[in-house]
Amino acid sequence: MICCPFCGAENIPGDDLCEVCHEPLSTLHLPEPATEVERGLIKDRLESLNPRAPVVVEPEMPVLPVLRMMLDHKIGCVLVVKEARVVGIFTERDALLRLSDDPQEWKDRPVSEFMTPNPQTLDLKAKVAFAVQRMDQGGYRHVPVVDDQQRPIGVISVRDILRYLTERLGAPV
Amino acid sequence: MPSDLDEGAAAKFHLKLDSETVAEVISADPVCVSEQATLREVLSLLRRLGRGCALVCQEQKLVGIFTERDALRLLALLGAGNVQLLDQPIRSLMVPNPVTIRKDATVAEAIRRMSQGGYRRLPVVDGNGTPVGVMKVSGILHYFAEHFPKYVYTLPPEPHYAPRERDGA
Repeated sequence: MICCPFCGAENIPGDDLCEVCHEPLSTLHLPEPATEVERGLIKDRLESLNPRAPVVVEPEMPVLPVLRMMLDHKIGCVLVVKEARVVGIFTERDALLRLSDDPQEWKDRPVSEFMTPNPQTLDLKAKVAFAVQRMDQGGYRHVPVVDDQQRPIGVISVRDILRYLTERLGAPV
Repeated sequence: MPSDLDEGAAAKFHLKLDSETVAEVISADPVCVSEQATLREVLSLLRRLGRGCALVCQEQKLVGIFTERDALRLLALLGAGNVQLLDQPIRSLMVPNPVTIRKDATVAEAIRRMSQGGYRRLPVVDGNGTPVGVMKVSGILHYFAEHFPKYVYTLPPEPHYAPRERDGA
């Protein structure tokens, strides 16, 4: 018998939905994890990576002070936040690819003109496996972590994920 | 979903990390510029190609690296009025003698070197010191994702996010 993760009712192995509450049982059909990495990927949530507190700016902030802020904080991205919600992300990649050689064209312009609007975000409760998938498929190196109101809580970087994986993998590092 | 995970998956993965070489994992050709190229030329090349770093080479040998991190610092200086920097040769603005990895090194070695040094990318060189590619941290993430597909691609973010009702009529 397999136990429904939602209501605790016992079900016949192979069923798709719980007989009692009709919640999906699909996550129980994953193969038994064989290593620490696999166990962690499907059990651990992003909160276990201790995301760094985000550096946030307003959409109206001019580009030049945003660049200085990124240098001072030694960070690769800032979250652009309006009314406590994430509306964009501005990364060093955006700076390189979107800012021209003529600083007059951007230094006093609002960062919202150069940011990536509506970035993919992740819930603090999301599983690490889900973050790996999203970052890999989207090619993101930084993903804002938000609460259920889209309020920013932190930033997960691809290096955080690498550290997590290598720590659990044991052998290589 | 059948429970078909082969017993030795973890052992096999470790074996792969220790046997597969960097050359088998890197993809895109590196962007190479000469030491004399100006900042203006390098920035415009990276913008045009949509790439985040240039390897600086002299006679086929790697002598430096210029990344988006360096670009950020220089853009801030341009914004502060130092526009003459645009005509400086990249030689004076690059990071000289970057840490590299040989193309016949294993993936495990690359991961170790990256996480110890905190590098996001490592230029990959052949036996003569000629750059043949760049190993990026995102490439390693992809490597992991490919080796744990069952775990990485089949899981909803949170059991409660799974659709509660069937789609369609």
